[in-house]
Amino acid sequence: MTVTTRREFLAGAAALGFASALPSRASAAGSLTAAIYPGTWEEAYRGVLAPALKKSADIDVAFDSLFAVDQVAKVRAARGVPPFDCFVLDPGPAASAMQAGLFEPIDASKLTNATKVPAGLITSHAVTCNAQVVGIAYNPKKFATPPKSWADLFKSPYVERLGLTGFQTTFGTVSIIEMAKVFGGSETNVEPVFAELKKAVEKAAAVAAPAAMPGLFQQGQIDVMYTNTNTVATLKGRGVSIEFVQPETGAITFQTTLHIVKGADNVASAYKYMDMAISAEVQSALQKQPYNMIPINKDVQLVETLDIKSVDELTKMVTHDWTKINPQRAAWIERFNKEITK
Amino acid sequence: MAGAAAAGGIGDKVDWRLAAPLGLTYLAFFAAPFAILLGISFYADAEQTRLGLDSWTKFYGDAFYLKVILDTLKLGVFAVTATTLLAYPLALLFRAVGPRAQRVLIFIILMPLLTSVVIRTFAWIVILAREGVVNQTLLALGITAAPLNLLQTELGLVIALTQIEMPLMLLPLLTVMNQMDQNLVDASRALGASKWRTFFRVILPLTLPGWVAGATLVFASATTAFISQSVIGGARLVYLPALIWQQSMVVYNWPFAAVASLTLLFTVLAGIMALGWLGRFARTG
Repeated sequence: MTVTTRREFLAGAAALGFASALPSRASAAGSLTAAIYPGTWEEAYRGVLAPALKKSADIDVAFDSLFAVDQVAKVRAARGVPPFDCFVLDPGPAASAMQAGLFEPIDASKLTNATKVPAGLITSHAVTCNAQVVGIAYNPKKFATPPKSWADLFKSPYVERLGLTGFQTTFGTVSIIEMAKVFGGSETNVEPVFAELKKAVEKAAAVAAPAAMPGLFQQGQIDVMYTNTNTVATLKGRGVSIEFVQPETGAITFQTTLHIVKGADNVASAYKYMDMAISAEVQSALQKQPYNMIPINKDVQLVETLDIKSVDELTKMVTHDWTKINPQRAAWIERFNKEITK
Repeated sequence: MAGAAAAGGIGDKVDWRLAAPLGLTYLAFFAAPFAILLGISFYADAEQTRLGLDSWTKFYGDAFYLKVILDTLKLGVFAVTATTLLAYPLALLFRAVGPRAQRVLIFIILMPLLTSVVIRTFAWIVILAREGVVNQTLLALGITAAPLNLLQTELGLVIALTQIEMPLMLLPLLTVMNQMDQNLVDASRALGASKWRTFFRVILPLTLPGWVAGATLVFASATTAFISQSVIGGARLVYLPALIWQQSMVVYNWPFAAVASLTLLFTVLAGIMALGWLGRFARTG
């Protein structure tokens, strides 16, 4: 009979542990770490894209859940040692990351689905993965008539139930720019809206952090807000009474883009990951409940819950030039801080 | 800090090597980044191309940012006051009851610490919202005609922080309260002092070290409670932590964020030192 010492037992146990860990790593053809927005995006990419990528290309994805601004800040702070391989960004942060030289160039020939995407959505440094549409959301049970324009948000009975948020997010910034246009401003001149905001803020139901808005709507703290169709569909899916309205001056659209981080370790896997993200298979799965993301792949048949009829409709919506907005944004944020606070 | 000094006096020789692992870790992961933070604050522009005191003068030359500092300190003071007023009666009760009831009380006190601060904060949204528990109750009882606005107000934030930070005040206070000699309280009463006089002249001075420890913890965590401040406080109440986040993550003005960070560090430190001084004053006086 052999006597096993504690030391041998531990060594054996450790070896077993290693052995069970090894095959799963060794069998994958590749791996990458991708940044992803927390919430719906993370659920969608974890639940739909990751298994699809594993099945088709045998690539393991690890997700780092971060908002766009946090991703850019993290890569900037890492100074050349990227903490992940792939960004997912809104136009504002994407423009500042581009300016800071944080992207690797994109070779569209490495993406098999590139031809399925409308022209202009894959650029030298970016691959568009989804579109977002921003407009007004309201609670149909609380108002006899829905708000029609951005100006309506500043009038009774809507203003008393309005949830306000500032320039710290993409949807907040573009919404306020559109309001400014209604009051005589422009993309680079939001002056006229500040006077209106100052008046509205005394009556508004809440002035809160952008991430808190859906929760406040669900709790009945606010009944009108500016947000994207994605959030509206998600809240509706949870049984919240909410409807999306395209303002008279048009809904806003902007693209969410994927980028390879400068100096990334897993460039080949990153291409496979982006290719899978824009594939018809993944895009049609992600447009359904509970994800509600607007597809950009031309082969995808749009579902009804999206609040838009076709991908072509997007081309008629309002867009913005973030290279003009970014230089002014810091000043707008500071001004919002100072004038809207108590 | 005071504890370390006291321990130094007891032993003949202090073996500083015992502190080496933590000390070196602090040196590498606190002192070095702190030096970098200090360095960044002396850049004049957001792109960090030229040196200068611009970020400092912009921050301290602007009444808005001075008010942000003041509001942050005020929030800390309010949280300490509210937790103190609620913690002392509970601590006295804790002292009076039997061991079984004490165990139940400890469990109730610790329970908030077992859930994440995010959950506790969101729970307060549900409670304080327009259609939340508080407003529903007030409306049903006919106390108010229209729902009260509690979210996005300083009052709502102080209410939530009081509950969230309560264990930090109670735990040190209970420990000190339990060690207090009952004979001193009995003697005071036997010599004819009223209950209030006994509390102010005997119990309060004896338990002050516990209160100072609790107040320090509550003050430091209330002034830096980023999640609660931004979720319950909303965008109209600007405190230093949210300002730092905004300047570093959204605006990318790192020098300005560094100035705000150092300001937060020093104001909280000043508050803690004031409390420490109060504690020493109590023991000698």
